[in-house]
Amino acid sequence: MATRMLKRTCLSNDVCEQLKRHHIESCKDLLSLTPLEVMHVACLSYQKAIELLQSVSKAVAPPVTTALELCKKQACFSTSLPTLDKLLRGGLPCGTITEVTGPSGCGKTQICLMLSVLATMPKSEGGLDSGVIYIDTESAFSAVRLVEIAQSRFPDYFNCRERILNMAGRVLLCRDLTCQDVLNRLDTLEEDIISSGAGLIILDSVASVVRKEFDTTLPGNLMHRSDLLGHKASTLKYLAHQFNLPVVLTNQITTHLGGHGSEDAGFVTAALGNTWSHSVNTRLILQYVDSHQRQILIAKSPVAPFAVLNYTIEKQGICLDGDDSQETLYEGTDPGLQSIRVQTGFTYNLTQPM
Amino acid sequence: MQISSCSLSPAVKSRLTAAGFHFLSELRGLSPSHICAETGVSQQEALQVLQAVRGGASGGGASVGGASGGGGASVGPPPSLTALQLLQEEQSQRSIFSFCSQLDATLGGGLPVGKTTEICGAPGTGKTQLCLQLVVDVQVPVCFGGLGGQVVVVDTEGSFLLQRVQDIAGAVVKHCSLLVEDDEQRVAMTTFSVETILSNIFLVRCHDYVELLAELHLLPDFLSEHPRVRLLVIDSVAFPFRLHFDELSQRTRLLNGLAQQLIAMATSHNVAVVITNQMTTRLRGGQSQLVPALGESWGHAPTIRLLLQWAGTQRLATIFKSPGHPGATVQYQITSDGFRDADQSEQPPSKRPRTHTVQSATGQRDSNQSSAGQRDSNQSAAGQRDSNQSAAGQRDSNQSAAGQRDSNQSAAGQRDSNQSAAGQRECS
Repeated sequence: MATRMLKRTCLSNDVCEQLKRHHIESCKDLLSLTPLEVMHVACLSYQKAIELLQSVSKAVAPPVTTALELCKKQACFSTSLPTLDKLLRGGLPCGTITEVTGPSGCGKTQICLMLSVLATMPKSEGGLDSGVIYIDTESAFSAVRLVEIAQSRFPDYFNCRERILNMAGRVLLCRDLTCQDVLNRLDTLEEDIISSGAGLIILDSVASVVRKEFDTTLPGNLMHRSDLLGHKASTLKYLAHQFNLPVVLTNQITTHLGGHGSEDAGFVTAALGNTWSHSVNTRLILQYVDSHQRQILIAKSPVAPFAVLNYTIEKQGICLDGDDSQETLYEGTDPGLQSIRVQTGFTYNLTQPM
Repeated sequence: MQISSCSLSPAVKSRLTAAGFHFLSELRGLSPSHICAETGVSQQEALQVLQAVRGGASGGGASVGGASGGGGASVGPPPSLTALQLLQEEQSQRSIFSFCSQLDATLGGGLPVGKTTEICGAPGTGKTQLCLQLVVDVQVPVCFGGLGGQVVVVDTEGSFLLQRVQDIAGAVVKHCSLLVEDDEQRVAMTTFSVETILSNIFLVRCHDYVELLAELHLLPDFLSEHPRVRLLVIDSVAFPFRLHFDELSQRTRLLNGLAQQLIAMATSHNVAVVITNQMTTRLRGGQSQLVPALGESWGHAPTIRLLLQWAGTQRLATIFKSPGHPGATVQYQITSDGFRDADQSEQPPSKRPRTHTVQSATGQRDSNQSSAGQRDSNQSAAGQRDSNQSAAGQRDSNQSAAGQRDSNQSAAGQRDSNQSAAGQRECS
């Protein structure tokens, strides 16, 4: 809306011509000026300049709704994990960005695959009955695993080949391996969303592309990186709100070095820094407990309290342990600095009993 | 209009005519002392003459009206107030309480109406939660000590989740229903429900700064149409302004204009303006610290600045700029019901030892990103005045590298002075 041309607003031709002489052609150009500058370039009195600004504002400003109206169309995307859904008030909120972060091999991609399956399922089964846009920057997507999760998680629904093919056909995979590719993809994503009827956007992972392309020790790179990330975040937020769909991102982890003579050697936390942490609405952290057992932490959420849920990764994807009512709240801390437990040693169970 | 026909004392008239003034229009534009010098009347009399001139003009016609070009703006400067009038006005103003009694107490009863307040904080410290709490609190009926107002929320981040508003609203409604004592309150409760709370929240979702600027141009009219609006929330002002800006000077200019508009709206429509700001990492050599985003000059815009932060597992709210309140740090927590006091089982904040727990906790997470900033402000809990000093230091510094160094130095200095303050207290 910001790039809307002044010509297409309700302004008279004379005013448009006058402004064009000063290279002011879009609403963005005009609204970036102060009233005094508008008086000058448009040759108008103060009163008229204010009127001009207001009429242009009317063309650009988003509509005002009351919360009650919005309440009626508020939707959630169920994660099919009852305890997590309960904590998040029904699931991942539509129109916002959810980040899943954790050490490698902890199940981030598994969650993404599982959510992809869910989104394609009909509404009666708790899905969204829509397509999925899966932007894969790590080439970690596995169609075989997708089908496996679908079949073992919902054996009743995916009992015939047709439904599985239908499901797989609705997951639109974009392999973008460089930062610029991802940005270009995001800029044109709107068309893809409409054409594929997508109800879920997954970006796996946001961290890998920026982290391999930007050496943060070089001066200026860090600034450039956070600019790119900010651009990504705002595009995704725009899409999420415009189409009222949930966006899921995955993030990596980084080691924070302890300085200033503290005895703690450092700890592992979510990557990409503080500014990025502002951009995500919900942050879920995955971490290891032992080689088999893992945990989901709700580290930042506008609706949910801090909570820990235990899970394991099975054939059917993520499985929460314990019964539905069991949830452990923990004393929260800064989600940007929440330390994450990683795998410390490898244990081999060669004699696997049946 | 002739001087002889206006309502002045005969002595003054004769002096004026003796000095050569015959028409009131001749006196226009002269200063009182000029008239004194030319005619020999006293200063009081000169003032009366001028008032008569202006009175005659406004009754007489439009000759002044066209001069400054803008219809109603020609009346001259707005009437000035004495501090006494302002005192009465401010005392009759109610504040928006936050349900966190410690925070309310340090703010002198809550968030003042007619002022702009900024809430800064790292991600996940509860900025949005505090906003949501205020959004509900401002609607508490007058007979319960609230404002019974409406709210405009400008959401740029998409964090305004209605499920959470419903939670908080439910808790507040329940709280009020337990307080009902007389008939008036009983009547008020019949209309005070979660549903009405939601219907009194006007929501605008802005995606970029142009939409935000456009919305701000329209808000004065909207506020005039909805005179019950008592709170304007912008969550957050930082997100749209941290992107897409090649030159910082333009951003600074736009932000200054925005601040002006917000202040004008706050005073003319009598609303409390609450804006949230993000934190940014400022690097200098190997050192880094967390500071509020949008640069130093933005720091002038809000009247009150509130910093929310983590100290280990405690949440702390620090007032670090306010004309009317000493800097202070209080503890709070966020429960399922909303923004509340920290558990009473813990020690009251004034008695809190200069905690080894806090320091060791922050020491552990002493890291590239947070360290210096956090620790400094934690310690400023001890030296209240020092935090003001640091605010002053920040204000002086500008966006240049030199400025940064200044503020860093002042932060460092602050740390020292705080430590000594803390040491003194431990000794005593």
